Amino acid sequence: MITAERKPLAEIIDYIDNCRRILLVGCNECVTVCAAGGRKEVAMLASAMQMDFMKRGKTVDIREMTLERQCEPEYVEELAPFIDQADAVVSMACGCGVQEVVRRFRGKRVYPAVNTSFMGAAERPGVWAERCHGCGNCLLGLTGGICPIARCSKRLMNGPCGGSSKGKCEVSTEIDCVWQLIWDRLKELGIEDRYEEIILAKDWRTERGGGPRKIVREDLAQ
Amino acid sequence: METFEPVIVAFCCHYCAYTAADMAGTMRLDYPANVKIVRVPCSGKVDPIHMMKALELGADGVLVAGCLEGDCHFKTGNVKAARRVTYVQTQLEEIGVEPQRLAMVTMSAGMGTRFAAIANEFTEQIRKLGPNPVAAARKAQAAPAPVAQVN
Amino acid sequence: MTDHTNDAQTTVLVIGGGVGGIKAAMDLSEAQKDVLLVDKAAAIGGLMTQLDRTFPTNNCDLCTISPHLSAGARQQHIDLMPLTQVTAVTGEAGDFTVTLTSTPRYIDLEKCTACGECHKKYPECVRFYPGLDHRAPTCMRYPQATPQAFSIDMAACKDVNGLVNVCPANAIVVDDQEKVATRRVSSIILAVGADLFDPDKLDHFGHGRYPNVVTGLEYERIMSASGPTLGELVRPSDGVPPKRVAWIQCAGSRGINREDVSYCSSVCCMYALKEAIVTKERFQDDIETTIFYMDMRTFGKDYEGYYQRAKDQYGVRMVRCRPHSIVPDSTGQQLHIAYATDENSGMTTELFDMVVLSTGFRPSSHTTRLAEILGVELNAHQFVRGGNFEPVVTSRPGIYVCGVIEGPKDIPETMVQASAAACMAARHTGHAGSAAEVESEYPPERDVIGETPRIGVFVCDCGQNIGGAMDVDAVVQEAAKYPHVVHVEMAGHGCGQEALDRMRQMIQEKNLNRVVVGACSPRTHEGLFQENLRKAGLNKYLLDIANIRDQNAWVHGGARELATAKAKKLIRMAVGGVAQAGPLREHRLPINKDVLVIGGGVSGMSSALALGDQGYKVVLAERTGRLGGLAAIIRRNLEGDDVRAYVAQLVEKVQAHDQIEVITNAIVVDHSGMPGKFQTGFQIGPRMYYRQIEHGATVMATGALAHRPDQYLLGRHKAVMTQLDLDDLLETQPEQVSNWECMVMVQCVGSRTADNPNCSRICCQSAIKNALRLTDLNPDMRVFILYRDMRTYGFSEDAYIEARRRGVIFVRYQADIPPRVTADGDRVTVHFHDPILGRDMEVTADCLGLSTGLLADDETTEDLAAIFHLNRTEDGHFLEDHVKLKPLDMSVPGFFVAGTAHSPRTIRESIAQAQGVAGRIQGLLAQDVINLGAVVARVDRDKCATCLVCVRACPYHVPFINEDRYSEIDPAKCHGCGICAAECPAKAIQLSCFEDAPIMAKLEGLLERIA
Repeated sequence: MITAERKPLAEIIDYIDNCRRILLVGCNECVTVCAAGGRKEVAMLASAMQMDFMKRGKTVDIREMTLERQCEPEYVEELAPFIDQADAVVSMACGCGVQEVVRRFRGKRVYPAVNTSFMGAAERPGVWAERCHGCGNCLLGLTGGICPIARCSKRLMNGPCGGSSKGKCEVSTEIDCVWQLIWDRLKELGIEDRYEEIILAKDWRTERGGGPRKIVREDLAQ
Repeated sequence: METFEPVIVAFCCHYCAYTAADMAGTMRLDYPANVKIVRVPCSGKVDPIHMMKALELGADGVLVAGCLEGDCHFKTGNVKAARRVTYVQTQLEEIGVEPQRLAMVTMSAGMGTRFAAIANEFTEQIRKLGPNPVAAARKAQAAPAPVAQVN
Repeated sequence: MTDHTNDAQTTVLVIGGGVGGIKAAMDLSEAQKDVLLVDKAAAIGGLMTQLDRTFPTNNCDLCTISPHLSAGARQQHIDLMPLTQVTAVTGEAGDFTVTLTSTPRYIDLEKCTACGECHKKYPECVRFYPGLDHRAPTCMRYPQATPQAFSIDMAACKDVNGLVNVCPANAIVVDDQEKVATRRVSSIILAVGADLFDPDKLDHFGHGRYPNVVTGLEYERIMSASGPTLGELVRPSDGVPPKRVAWIQCAGSRGINREDVSYCSSVCCMYALKEAIVTKERFQDDIETTIFYMDMRTFGKDYEGYYQRAKDQYGVRMVRCRPHSIVPDSTGQQLHIAYATDENSGMTTELFDMVVLSTGFRPSSHTTRLAEILGVELNAHQFVRGGNFEPVVTSRPGIYVCGVIEGPKDIPETMVQASAAACMAARHTGHAGSAAEVESEYPPERDVIGETPRIGVFVCDCGQNIGGAMDVDAVVQEAAKYPHVVHVEMAGHGCGQEALDRMRQMIQEKNLNRVVVGACSPRTHEGLFQENLRKAGLNKYLLDIANIRDQNAWVHGGARELATAKAKKLIRMAVGGVAQAGPLREHRLPINKDVLVIGGGVSGMSSALALGDQGYKVVLAERTGRLGGLAAIIRRNLEGDDVRAYVAQLVEKVQAHDQIEVITNAIVVDHSGMPGKFQTGFQIGPRMYYRQIEHGATVMATGALAHRPDQYLLGRHKAVMTQLDLDDLLETQPEQVSNWECMVMVQCVGSRTADNPNCSRICCQSAIKNALRLTDLNPDMRVFILYRDMRTYGFSEDAYIEARRRGVIFVRYQADIPPRVTADGDRVTVHFHDPILGRDMEVTADCLGLSTGLLADDETTEDLAAIFHLNRTEDGHFLEDHVKLKPLDMSVPGFFVAGTAHSPRTIRESIAQAQGVAGRIQGLLAQDVINLGAVVARVDRDKCATCLVCVRACPYHVPFINEDRYSEIDPAKCHGCGICAAECPAKAIQLSCFEDAPIMAKLEGLLERIA
């Protein structure tokens, strides 16, 4: 899941301070689940923006909408009847959603209200942690199913650095040393030998080295 | 200038604070008329949006009143409510509205005296803070267009 | 209300409207039985209404009892007759004819609004009941009296015309007469309670002569918010707050002198501790509290901790002695208490500002007469005699007893007996109309969906309660301007029959589809107004109540403008909210009427029999291979009955009963469902095969363990044994025992210690029981009982007196200097300190008997608590839902607890609980359907993001993601807290009755003027 968190209110206000009519758009997908941009967060932000404007003696008209998935053109189309009544769109979706709105409504100012952070999982209710970096060439099969790219501060591929201490990363004691986790898991599986195998230098072209990426399924592509 | 009479919304749990408020009446305890109660089945039912909206609509203070710790009729509603109140306070800080305008309090059904005391203290606290800056600015303005909700 | 005057088949007469009588009446009415509740007082509630707070929860008593009373007044099956006494009884069980004599009230109950005008102008004419020195500010016994009406003493009234004219409701009936009526009833419950001892007769304590000597009840009144000083604690002589308060225990009880009674009143130790704690809570270091006591008898469930907290946490000073006298000082404001302690042979005098006499229960002379009329036997102390194994059964078939009149007891034990009496009394009745039939009398609900709201507003004036504090006319005029309001009127006493009829008429005439009532609290009156809407053909959820009395008129009584303005706002909010309300359907399920009883001891078997006899199918599951439990190894009780024979006969009855299926060697392994529809899985027998039982209610009667701590050479020397072992030996080898020359017993072995802090309740009685049997066998035997506090509560005090008379030597020891024992050949030597002689002693004994008491079966209750989601106390007993109001119900609906699984208790007390549980279950299972209410969470599947937040947030694990990939909440399981609705990030969940729209509308209604 894509995780995000809301931007500071001041930054959002800064974008739209001269607008009178705002279309505030949430997304019922990932950002709802990570409590950053669902219907509830839309209402919270609308109220916060409203109060901020009023406090300064200004008024603003905010229309709240939450789309099923803001990264899909058909859902984004639902904004069409309302778009002309807005001076600007504030999107609470991830970057994909923001850009999809931009692509559809080229003449409209569109601003993000959340910082899209990482691909992660819910460790426990209310806590999300990074799990995948989207490198385009998965090596979980070699590392006991635990990703050193997303979860090692240095993205080390062959064991921990000297900063690993008591299973924690030197960057912060909050961060597990991923290589400790990998080792523990390999041991649990009884395949410690795997640890000795050298992972060769990674081909980063599948990540960002080869420029913006695209996936095409010929059979499905229209 | 006339004395400032704040408007305070108290979301009161049916099982404790609402009953305590009735008790305060039974005991004929005087507390400020500024406090208006909205009954909820559990303090855990109070949505952060309602806390925000009350202030947005012009309330000068908002109380969320639940059961004593460990006594929630629904096990954990009061704990959740307390955490939401803390969260909304951070939001208020961002807007520049004093977070002290929102508070979580706990009491048992029998604590009529405590309800009255809290109503007194909180009203006094809000009186000191002065009018909700949102409402104050809004008063000077014409009413804004109503908030639209499409879905 | 239907007239049941001649319906002897279904009516139970309950005599006495105290807490016990109310509980019995409520339980019977829940079981769809008709009840006639008579009380000689003008209002029901009894003694408890005068208490400021009640132990052990120390909550305000009014809030505890008022829901009972207001509900009691509304229950359709309860016919209430205040100011009424039973003057004759004929007939037999199943068909008694009773003569009821009602003294005139001179007030029309239908008209009186309890406005208080009569008392304001003519206080001498109004009857006043608390019977204390100080007049309460209101002459009703307490503010929420039921019936809520005054009562006139015509003889004391000089200006009758003036009185008639002062009443705004025309409720005074000058020529009211004594009325005599006869009614046929099937059975009778006697719950008349007892009086409190009047200590004026004890001249050495000076009550009645020295104003600062008060009784416990008078002290409660002084501390009570509705009392004479409005809760200010002041010295009666001069109104100065006291600095030193003393309590003297056993005033008139446990004595041998003139005016004393020999028995223990069982509750005074706890109430003195409570009063001292409450005093310390309120004044902390500004006040000193001292309790003079003989034995601290905190034997109830978790009461020992209450005692320890009083001492250690609150600093209540405890002095063990029986004071000699109270003498005022020269100023007359302070009091000298003269006393001598064990440690100090001389007399000490100490000065106090106030002395509270802890007076106990005395049956009133009225009870003696009533017993004669009813033909029931009394015991030597003039209490009604209950059976040794049938605690609520009197000597006359069809007449049952509960509460203090059966013997001194506290509220929890009274409530237990009340439920037991309700169970037993119901056996004589047939089936009354069920709730479902009443529902069908209502007109069909009008469909209001799609209609524009048409709101009617009714503003109560509540007999000046509201009208006196605000301008109701102004409120009415203002309300007419609110959106969607099409009709407004002042409703006088809105909950009165006349006003309710008028409301229904207006709903029809004005075609209203929503109603707002400006009234008292929805907590007490929502049900009444909802029912009225329903009768008018509207869904009952199209109502909102603006609480303009309890939360407005009563608070701002002195500020008319403020109260008026606030009432307008409260009604504006309610109008906004109700405009957004929609009709709701209540969720109902058919109920399974079978009962599962877990535990085959005396409690489990007694519950099973009581339920089986009522026609319920019972499965009795026992973990071991045999029925009988711990009682099966007990030979005699304190009264000398053959316990084994009793248990054997109980086992036989259970096994022969058509309705009872016994499964032995049965271990609970899983459980699911809800009240009325449970499934519990067992592994049964040596082959451990699995069987699932479906049931509607569950009784936890899993018992406790006989404690055998590794102390005092127990198990290592044959002269050392527990009281249970001794009980057996006395029966099997009396010759051997009669040869003993010396016996020593040690109390509190393994109880009231750090490991097991609670009192085991039964051990003092067991020790006395065995001591008496020993001295029966060999009157020359020297018997020593080493104790900390002798806790022979109630009538068992008589046995303690008898033991002392026979020369049994009682020596107190302190917990930090326990006795020691050393082996001495076949005998043992016991070393202990005698505080009166001030010397260390050694006694060589043929036998050392240890009072080891009972221990919670921690492992069993832990397992069962996990499977059934039940609560336990810290020491591993099952925890009841409410120690006083629901002592038998558990917090999980449909679960009940009886016997030593609840707390240590005697067989007789366990049987009362077992039958009480049957009484409670009979109420639960009288319904054909379970009404789960309408306040449930609903998911909008189109908005649900399947994020699992609700699944994780629900305290009851109700939501789940269903096959169609959205969250589903089973309305039958939802508890209606709304936590999920407040957490849902997609706003896909709404809680019925408390949706966002009405809440927002209320906020907008309140705040609209601010914009």
